[in-house]
Amino acid sequence: MTTRHLVDPALLPLIDSFPPMVLSDQTLPLIRAALPAMVKAVPLPDLPVAVSDVMVAADGGQRSVRCMMLRPAAMAANAPAILHMHGGGHVLGMPEMNAGQLMQWADALGCLILSVDYRLAPETRFPGALEDCYAALGWLHDEADRLGIDRTRIAVSGESAGGALAAGLALYARDRGEFAICFQHLEQPRLDDRTATSADPNPYTGEFVWTRESSHYCWIAQLGKEPGGDGTSPYAAPSRATDLTRLSRAFIGVGTLDLFVDECLDYAHRLIRSGVPTELHVYPGCMHGFGMARESVPARRAQADNLAAFRSAFAL
Amino acid sequence: MTTRHLVDPAVLPALEAFPPLRATRESLPAIRAAMDGIARSIPVPSLPVDTQTVLIPASEGHHVRAILLRPQGRTELLPAILHIHGGAYIIGAPEMSVPELTATADQLGVTILSVDYRLAPEHPFPAGIEDCYTALGWLHDHAATLGVDRSRIAVMGESAGGGLAASLALLARDRGVYPLAFQLLDAPMMDDRTCVRPRNPVTGEFIFAPEDNHFGWSCLLDAEPGAPGVSPYAAAARETELAGLPPTLIATGALDLFVDENVDYAMRLIAAGVAVELHVYPGCPHGYVIAADAPVSQRALQDKRNALRRALAI
Repeated sequence: MTTRHLVDPALLPLIDSFPPMVLSDQTLPLIRAALPAMVKAVPLPDLPVAVSDVMVAADGGQRSVRCMMLRPAAMAANAPAILHMHGGGHVLGMPEMNAGQLMQWADALGCLILSVDYRLAPETRFPGALEDCYAALGWLHDEADRLGIDRTRIAVSGESAGGALAAGLALYARDRGEFAICFQHLEQPRLDDRTATSADPNPYTGEFVWTRESSHYCWIAQLGKEPGGDGTSPYAAPSRATDLTRLSRAFIGVGTLDLFVDECLDYAHRLIRSGVPTELHVYPGCMHGFGMARESVPARRAQADNLAAFRSAFAL
Repeated sequence: MTTRHLVDPAVLPALEAFPPLRATRESLPAIRAAMDGIARSIPVPSLPVDTQTVLIPASEGHHVRAILLRPQGRTELLPAILHIHGGAYIIGAPEMSVPELTATADQLGVTILSVDYRLAPEHPFPAGIEDCYTALGWLHDHAATLGVDRSRIAVMGESAGGGLAASLALLARDRGVYPLAFQLLDAPMMDDRTCVRPRNPVTGEFIFAPEDNHFGWSCLLDAEPGAPGVSPYAAAARETELAGLPPTLIATGALDLFVDENVDYAMRLIAAGVAVELHVYPGCPHGYVIAADAPVSQRALQDKRNALRRALAI
């Protein structure tokens, strides 16, 4: 069965042009090698936002984590900030993939954005990436005065694997109690390793862009073992957390054809029952990564929902 | 535990000013009269929309009253909405919704028929759903004279009307006579089993409480809710086969008494291959839209109208 007839017609050009990509040890190096040129080929919007690299100390100063920082020219004093994590199944990607969208956010919201170039699997397994992101969160808090940002208005945001990191970071930061997060913004987050091994998979999800096979490969790369078994950390797979109380307010957006739709709805529902202010949007006929079709109607709607949610969370 | 701290501050004053329903069989006539007075006090916007009452003969020998709203000056075939008002299956009338529906008819260029279906407990299931089906049939059968495009008829309802809309979509699918292009379910009251399930700790504090839900379902079913064997045409969430339903919008609040049954229904529709748009608005208990000017209420109204535009190719 194909689910093509369920796809929003505005997104058909995206799936038709998207390379059929199954991640494996053979294809991963090729895709990684091709990515920088693909990223560079996308023109950046002409917006008054300064983009620079910053190096954040990690592991007590023994190494550093590169981050891309975006600072709008017209940033007010004591501005809000977003710590952003890119997608790519934990095995791919870089902050520059989202530079255009993040420039638009920084400009529209007047906020500082830090996007983390976290270490990737399989070279670095869990919890390496999360530690990098936590170091970046700590840096934002420690440097808040110098950066001109408001410590009480720091959000975490990510899509796909980056959404997993954002949700994991919200759990981790709650449990550590060092650094406050005001909002977790999760776009089509990958939350549950058990989806990759489900005996009863949703027959309408995961055909396009991000498949169950690719997801399975990435979980093994990240965890170093078969997903779905006992003992997966909730910081790697937030759906594994049994206590979702006292988490920061949440936003989840996902498409009906996304491999992650079931876990997203389940997580949102559990957040609601745990007393966490939660906003949820499910977009019909949208597959994983539909935001790549940036000018399409569904992607523009989702962007409008994203910006409205940030404005509300930042009291703008 | 109070959930007051979770409520959107823009909707809280209206919710707190609203008296709790706490209906009983004894108080029901007084509540209906009061609600009727409130409904008729809302000004209807002055727009180029013709409003008329129609009396539709039903097979049981009675007539189903409905209000027909038709935008003026349209010569092309228009899409249509069968609208079903809320009120826990026991109160309410189409007049409650006429102000909003008039604006919808005008903005979207759509013909709307809003049904005054028979209410419980005087008329338990299936009286109400059959009245809605009668109205849907009338809309289809009179499409040519009304200038309605039969391939673009949606069903829409809020609260108990959302439950009736969902059940009507099931009934229409199963009887196979009158196709529907879309179902818009606004905070639908669709699962009697919510009455007997463990309480969601964050829902049901304002306007519509679990006691009200229990009373409404008891009246509709003329039996204790949650028992085996309840028809999906009474409680749509009871349906196990959801394939073949029309594209769907479900909108609900994160603090709505019905959020659990609404999210569950959305998940099951998605897993049945139905195109589902779902919005869960944070900080919103059931009935939050009485704060009509609150940003979230405006946004929800826009989301509904945009979904209708897409679904009905407007």
